[in-house]
Amino acid sequence: MNKWFKSGAPWVWLSAAGVSISLISVLGLLWLIASRGLSYFWPADIYQFDMTDEQGKNLTVIGEIYDRESIPVSQLVHLDLAIDKSAKTIERLLIKTGNRELVSLDFRWILVPQITQTTLPEDIVVIERRTNGNFYGYIEQIVLDGKAVEESKMDELLERVSDFQAEIAELQTADIGAINYQIERTRLQVRKHQLDDTLTPELALMLKEKVAGLQAEYQVLERALMALREKVARDQIIMRAMDGQRVTINFEDIIKVSFNNKLSFFGKLQMFISQIAAFVSDDPREANTEGGVFPAIFGTVLMVLLMTVIVSPLGVVAAIYLHEYAGNNALTKLLRIAVINLAGVPSIVYGVFGLGFFVYMVGGSLDQLFYAETLPSPTFGTPGVMWSAITLAILTLPVVIVSTEEGLSRIPSAMRHGSLALGATKAETLWRIILPIASPAIMTGIILAIARAAGEVAPLMLVGVVKMAPNLPLDGNFPFLHLDRKFMHLGFHIYDVGFQSPNVEAARPLVYATALLLVSIIVALNMTAVSIRNRLREKYRMLEH
Amino acid sequence: MISVRPKNFSANLSAQPAKLDLNNLAPEQVALEIKNLDLYYGNKQALQNISMSIPKGQVTAFIGPSGCGKSTLLRCINRMNDLVDICKITGQINLNGENIYERHTDVAALRRKVGMVFQRPNPFPKSIYENVVYGLRITGENNRRVLDEAVETSLRSAALWKEVKDRLHESALGLSGGQQQRLVIARAIAIQPEVLLLDEPTSALDPISTLTIEELINDLKQQFTVVIVTHNMQQAARVSDQTAFMYMGDLIEYSDTNTLFTTPMKKKTEDYITGRYG
Repeated sequence: MNKWFKSGAPWVWLSAAGVSISLISVLGLLWLIASRGLSYFWPADIYQFDMTDEQGKNLTVIGEIYDRESIPVSQLVHLDLAIDKSAKTIERLLIKTGNRELVSLDFRWILVPQITQTTLPEDIVVIERRTNGNFYGYIEQIVLDGKAVEESKMDELLERVSDFQAEIAELQTADIGAINYQIERTRLQVRKHQLDDTLTPELALMLKEKVAGLQAEYQVLERALMALREKVARDQIIMRAMDGQRVTINFEDIIKVSFNNKLSFFGKLQMFISQIAAFVSDDPREANTEGGVFPAIFGTVLMVLLMTVIVSPLGVVAAIYLHEYAGNNALTKLLRIAVINLAGVPSIVYGVFGLGFFVYMVGGSLDQLFYAETLPSPTFGTPGVMWSAITLAILTLPVVIVSTEEGLSRIPSAMRHGSLALGATKAETLWRIILPIASPAIMTGIILAIARAAGEVAPLMLVGVVKMAPNLPLDGNFPFLHLDRKFMHLGFHIYDVGFQSPNVEAARPLVYATALLLVSIIVALNMTAVSIRNRLREKYRMLEH
Repeated sequence: MISVRPKNFSANLSAQPAKLDLNNLAPEQVALEIKNLDLYYGNKQALQNISMSIPKGQVTAFIGPSGCGKSTLLRCINRMNDLVDICKITGQINLNGENIYERHTDVAALRRKVGMVFQRPNPFPKSIYENVVYGLRITGENNRRVLDEAVETSLRSAALWKEVKDRLHESALGLSGGQQQRLVIARAIAIQPEVLLLDEPTSALDPISTLTIEELINDLKQQFTVVIVTHNMQQAARVSDQTAFMYMGDLIEYSDTNTLFTTPMKKKTEDYITGRYG
């Protein structure tokens, strides 16, 4: 036994166990969010349960099985159910029944013993809608222009409607949005001239005419929009819900009609993929509990890229100063310790600092200097994507400084001497020799910074993230990149959907799906940075002596 | 280490018929003049009152045991000792009649006139081509034709052209140690220095590469004044015209190589070259 200890084998086993535990927990985490998140997109079977309730009434429930659990019979005694009293537990199912216009809740529990018959009718449909969630039921009739038409026309109609919808969206966001933006800019121009006291009557007239022209254009577009809306509104579908009630649904509300029970495996797979595609490319709906997360993906990536652009030069310059120029004395050592300790400051503190310093002080001053015409409504004096990026840049600065410095100190002095001996100054040596060789280390710092910044939520809630941003920070209106705008973020989206939404139960799978997406995006960003680093490493591979 | 006379010793002698009187050189014969040079590392004196004249267009070798200050002296000539914070220097080194330790001296310009090659080959992690033109690019030369020409002449002078002409744009780190050292020499002569300092240039190389470099040094003195520090006495005897023997920070003896190795004036020199210590 003593010999076994001396051989070192127990330590090998111990470290192997440590590695396995870490690996298993990481894989387990990924598996959990992947399975929960992805199952949300897999088209579920839609069951019809015929059942008898405790009063002996017959009823029908249609929906997806969402969850199942066993509960002790004793909990249900007061209901006086006609069930086997000897059984200890009883199973119940959570059914997603949708049809929000009929019942306010999306879900209901049913007791398994009350079910008399379970079927998977092929002609049952689930309709995904823009408002009121899913509808489960049977198609009764399709009405085109007030006349009933055959069911086979439905696909054609849906396609027509979705084309119209795309056109409407385009008109609303791009064309009308651009005109509104220009009108607002012109108004601000007038205001600016007024403030500067340079508004001549001719100028005023010209700007007024410009606004009038824009307004005329707006009216034309609005009429076109109304015409489209009318076209889209004329077709309807009449549905029969589970209790036999008829419900009329306008085609314009419909996103997708699917016969889940009819689908083959490949049909389901196709739908699975198209649902994932819709999730990453669509805007959210219904207080973020439905639809996609595209603005959040966009906001996250944009913010991280901005942060990288800000933090890299700052961190590198600071590291160069500390390592190359600062004297090797107590003050430098103190600075270095301070930098390392900055990495340990809780992120919410950075958020508070960002809000107080960047948003209110710097942003407020910027507004007074350059955007006085829009006051009292703030431009940069309010949280926005730029302040978020800068706040996170400060947060991740220590990481970049530390790894860059480490990289600089690993460069053999022969390189510096070689360059200096050829008549290069210190700055030229740094720029041409040292920085390129240190670039893999700098990239390592940037990778760590990205990994930290992309997952950070708490400070962002103070300096720029919102639940629902009306516009992306990047659009077709000059100057295209609007750094003052607020943005959506996947991390905050998870929190908001999972814990702040009115329909937490329905949104739970979305939380997993969004978490999976966030992880994938961080991994993707990191992989990009890692591949750049590996390329640099290959290029500046030092000769191993 | 009994016989220090190399095989081609007489050949070397015949290559320099006119023997120079090192104490009375005409000003146009002097490349470098070191006057009363003292050097301190902190409180420790590493060089003591060194005075010597290094003749133009010849190879001068510094020999001596480890720690004698020969490399330190070499590094004074292009002010590489400036990089050592605790280093303090008094005295003069005159290059073309100007003291390089003058306050207003442009150190970068000095180092362009006094090139240096180090003990270990230190090519930059760039292509062979970019290594050679590095010094020229620093001076702002970006004309492709000029650079191409400089690469060819420097590599030819460094006896490397034939080996690398087909892979000029490949990484310099793919070359062998000897080739790297010749590349570093090519890099140093590409900016046309007046003086070339070689700090034990062959100590990290195999015998065959060493031989190539030694032949190269013989060619280089046609164009440049060469100062070489070496541990290897045979090497000093083979390649140099003048030899300076240093010991414990003192310049013990400085004369033409032949005299120093055959009839040394000082006892310490004799002990060293006959291998009694060092």
